[in-house]
Parts: sequence; structure tokens; C-alpha cells
Amino acid sequence: MKKQQVDKRSSLALRTWSKLVKNRLAMLGMIVAIVMVLVSVFANLFAPYDPSKIDFKSATRAPSWSHLMGTDKMGRDVFSEILYGGRISIYVSVVGSVLGSLVGMILGCIAGWFGGKVDAFLVRLSEIFLTFPNMILVLILVAFVGQGVNNLIFIFFITGWMTPFRMIRNEFLSLREETYVEACKAFGISNFSIMFKQILPNTISPIVVATTINIANYILQEAGLSFLGLGVPVTVPTWGNIMNAAKSVEVIRNYWWLWFFPGTVISIFVLAVNFAGDGLRDVLDPNL
Amino acid sequence: MIDYFFRKLLAIIPMLFIISIIVFVAIHFSPIDPINYLASPDMAANAANLAALREHLGLNDPIYVQYFRWLGNMFKGDFGYSIIDGTPISKIIAMKLPATFEISAIALVISTVFGIGLGIISAIRQNTFIDYFGRIIGVIGVSIPQFFFGIILIQLFSIKLGWLPMGGRLQVGYKTWWDHIPDIILPSVALGISMTGALLRYARNSMLDVLNKDYIRTARSKGIPEWKVYIKHAFRNSMGPTLVVLAFRLPILIGGSVMIETVFSWPGIGSIILQGVSTSDYPVIMMTTLMIAAAMLIASFLVDILMAILDPRIRFEK
Repeated sequence: MKKQQVDKRSSLALRTWSKLVKNRLAMLGMIVAIVMVLVSVFANLFAPYDPSKIDFKSATRAPSWSHLMGTDKMGRDVFSEILYGGRISIYVSVVGSVLGSLVGMILGCIAGWFGGKVDAFLVRLSEIFLTFPNMILVLILVAFVGQGVNNLIFIFFITGWMTPFRMIRNEFLSLREETYVEACKAFGISNFSIMFKQILPNTISPIVVATTINIANYILQEAGLSFLGLGVPVTVPTWGNIMNAAKSVEVIRNYWWLWFFPGTVISIFVLAVNFAGDGLRDVLDPNL
Repeated sequence: MIDYFFRKLLAIIPMLFIISIIVFVAIHFSPIDPINYLASPDMAANAANLAALREHLGLNDPIYVQYFRWLGNMFKGDFGYSIIDGTPISKIIAMKLPATFEISAIALVISTVFGIGLGIISAIRQNTFIDYFGRIIGVIGVSIPQFFFGIILIQLFSIKLGWLPMGGRLQVGYKTWWDHIPDIILPSVALGISMTGALLRYARNSMLDVLNKDYIRTARSKGIPEWKVYIKHAFRNSMGPTLVVLAFRLPILIGGSVMIETVFSWPGIGSIILQGVSTSDYPVIMMTTLMIAAAMLIASFLVDILMAILDPRIRFEK
């Protein structure tokens, strides 16, 4: 009996996997994203220079064979900075997005399962959060909690729980009427167990998609915040911090490599994650 | 319809109320002395008056009394003062908010026209060159950082081609509003890119959905000209989901303006908030946010009304 169940599950996983492999754009996106993550994680193996080594003698050099993407105003190698910068940018957005989804998931379970006043309260709360432009909400929180890698993660998860919350809640509203839930209740299984063990696994695929798409959004937000100089402290290299230099017209005009390369890297990564997310949605949506 | 209109309008009031409470509490518990924010700087300058002033402003009253007084003052147009330079906040907002609404509104027009237009043409001419073009724009729009796109626009159109100015809003020698149209173009396009991308994707998908419906086949079989099928039958029905995305994305437009205003040195609320955040001027940040939230609520109300006009079924929902 148990073995059969395991087989069935793995065959579903296999079918999903083979559908995903056929979706070329999604596969391409995934491969590009994974390669970029790996290169960033192992930046110390790939980076030709120390990203924080200041060398004014070779400042603002145009791209060449010795400096593939040129050097910045302090003579740091832009290519190495981008490799190391990916670490923080990706770490912040992935952890922020996963935490946001977790909080949204738990609140969504509670709202969808208990309904009534709890539900009305949580829905209102999410509506209020959604009324504020996300970027402005993030800026307000930066004003209150200050800058920093962990602060940014905290801010991202505070501002990112609403979409997963609404998804899970809506799924719960329909799923809690299902016969299997009634059966569970009849067996005397606890609320907690029905919510998290029986119903929640059925709602996991939209969450996976929402989390993926959120990662892409947070990469963009981190880049924007750091570009403004309000994200991660300037001493830590991130993709946005490298672009911070491009706030001055002089840099835009004369040193194109200082903004063109980091901007392109951000765009490619976000594009790849979006492709992967769209592909996952097509594959995981049972209605298609 | 009138019933629906008032129901939606009434729904805004509790939201505004709650948001104003949040804003009040946030200012109240921020680490500033409220006297600097509630009294104009010349009144607060004299240290001997401070205690009397505190009593006069009711800072010793219970917090809910203070809240209602604060709310009442706001209706009278008294928004308090910036704690950094003592300017009345209402004056700052009145000066900068129009600049932001200007580029946001034009970005909205650009993205609606291009996004929905191109999305619908993409759907009608599926798998042709224009469809691929549209899909590429759609994907780039949601993946490129807006400020990066803005920098590219500056590099291309201001530095290389020299067609449009690099930034700024009101320059010397401008007489009418029309004189600064060239200044508006680049920031609005940069601000609208992500909205254009999102709208394009949704308009295309929803139009494709509608074109496969039975009533479209019926319309065609009745011999209605093809353009009329697209415009009268398909377009109107495909707008519902697209408008939802539009309403949902409006805040993103305003949020994006913070970055775009920095890139193009545009003197809007983005610059106020940014300055507020870096100088910890909490009252300015929160009051500006309150204004933005109110504007967002009104915008989403308008979208709701527009949707009810397009789809009569919505009016009768509870």
C-alpha cells in the first residue's frame, strides 16, 4: 500500500519533470539562472581579482583582456565585483522571497480555514499593505529599521507576504469544502493537522510559482534601492551598489561599462527567473 | 449603477481611516519630538514657550484625542512641518506632487495605449512578426530594471542623438506647459516600460482567450466584418482581466517614480521621500505616503467604475 503511494507520487513528479523539459524557454531560463547562481556562489574561484582591492592607478579603465568589464573609479575590477555582488543580491532576494511566502502561507491557511472575523481582518490587512506602492513601503521601512543585508531581507518579507497569502486563502476557501476534509474531520483529526498536513500540500504549486516570480521582483527592488543608495551599505558589493555610480551624468556619459554590464547582468538574471517562473506555472497548473 | 458607485465610494472611507491611523501611529512612535513637527519653527524656537506650547497643542492629551485633532487639522490643510527645515508639509506636497502625477499619468497613457494596443494586435496576428516583437517587449518590460532602462534612454536620445534633454522639469525660458513636453518624454517612457510589458502580456493572453470563445464564432458566422468582431465583441470582453492588472499595478507606477525621478533629476515626491528617508524626516515621509495611498484608493475606485461600465454583471454582484 505504502509503496504504491510512493510510486504514484514519483510518476507524477516524473510527468511534471518531462513536461518541464519540453518547455524550452523555461529550461533555458532555469539553466541560465542556476549557472549564474553557481558562478556567484563560487565567485572566489572565478573572479580574476579581489573585488574590494582599491588601485587608483588603474581607475576607470575601459574593458580589455586584463579587465573584461573594465574598472571603476577606485580601480576595482567590475567583472569580479559583479561575480561577488551576485552573492548578496541573490541571497537577499531568495531568502526574502521564501520567508515572505512562508508567512503568507501560514496566514493564508489560518484565514482560509477559520474564515469569519480572522479572515476578514487578515484580508483587510493585506489590502492595506497593497494600497501602498511597494517601493514606497520598502523606503518607509528603510527609514525606520535602517540599511543592511538582514534589514533588507526583513523588509522584503514584511512587504511580500500578501500575494502568497491571497493565493493560499482562496485555495483554502474552496478546498475546505472537499469531501476528504470532511472525512478527516470525521476521523477526529485536529484542525492543525488538517490545515497543514492535508490541505496545504495541495496548494503548493501556486506558491512555488509566486515565490519564483517574487525572487525576480526582489532582485529588481534590491537593485533599485541600492542604486538610490538606500539598500545594502555601499561597502558590500551587490549588483545595485555597482550601478550606484551611474547616478552621476559623468559616469553615464563617459564610463558606459560601469552601468551597462551590471544592468545587463541584472536583466538577464531576472529574465531567466521570469522564464522559469512562467514555465513552472504552465507545468504545475492542473487546469491547462 | 448609482447604487454600485456609492457602495464603492463608501468602501474607501474605512480604508482611509485605517491608513491615517497607521500613519499617525508611525509618526507618533518615531524618535522625534512632535513639537518640531506640529509647530512652525519660529514658534518652537523660543525655549521658554515650549511648555506652554506643548499644552496649547494638546501634546499632554490622551493619544486618541491627539489623533482626532491631527485628523481635523489635516482637513483644514494643516499637515504639520518638516522637522529638518521647518517648511509646511502641505506646501512641499503641493509643490512636488503635481510633477510626479504628471509623469505617472503620461506613463500610464503610454503604457495603456502601447501595452493594450500591441497586446491585442499580437493576439489577432498570433505567431507573426508583430506577435514576436510584442512578446519580446512584454518580457523585457518586466525584466529590465527601470532605472537601467532610463539610463539607456539618456545615453541614446540625449547623449548620442541629442534629441531630448537629460532631465530636469522647469527650465529657464519656459512659458507654457507645452514647452516642457520634451522633458517629460524620456522619464515617462522609462517609468511606463514595466507597466507596458505587464499590460501587453495580459491583454494578449486575455484576447487570445476571448477569441477562442463560442460567441466569437457565432459573431463571425453571422457575417459580421472581421474588424467589428475584434473591436465590438472581443476587445470589450477581454478588457476585464486587463483592467484588474492595471489597477493592481498602479502603485508600482508611483513606486517606480522614486527611481526614475532620481535618474532624470525630476523634482517630484520621489525626491521628497528619498530626502526624507536619508534625513529621517518621518513626518514628511508619512504624510507624503498618506497622500499617495489616498490617490491610489481613488484610482482603484475609478478603475472599479470603469470595469462596471464595461461589464454590467459586476454592478449586480454583492
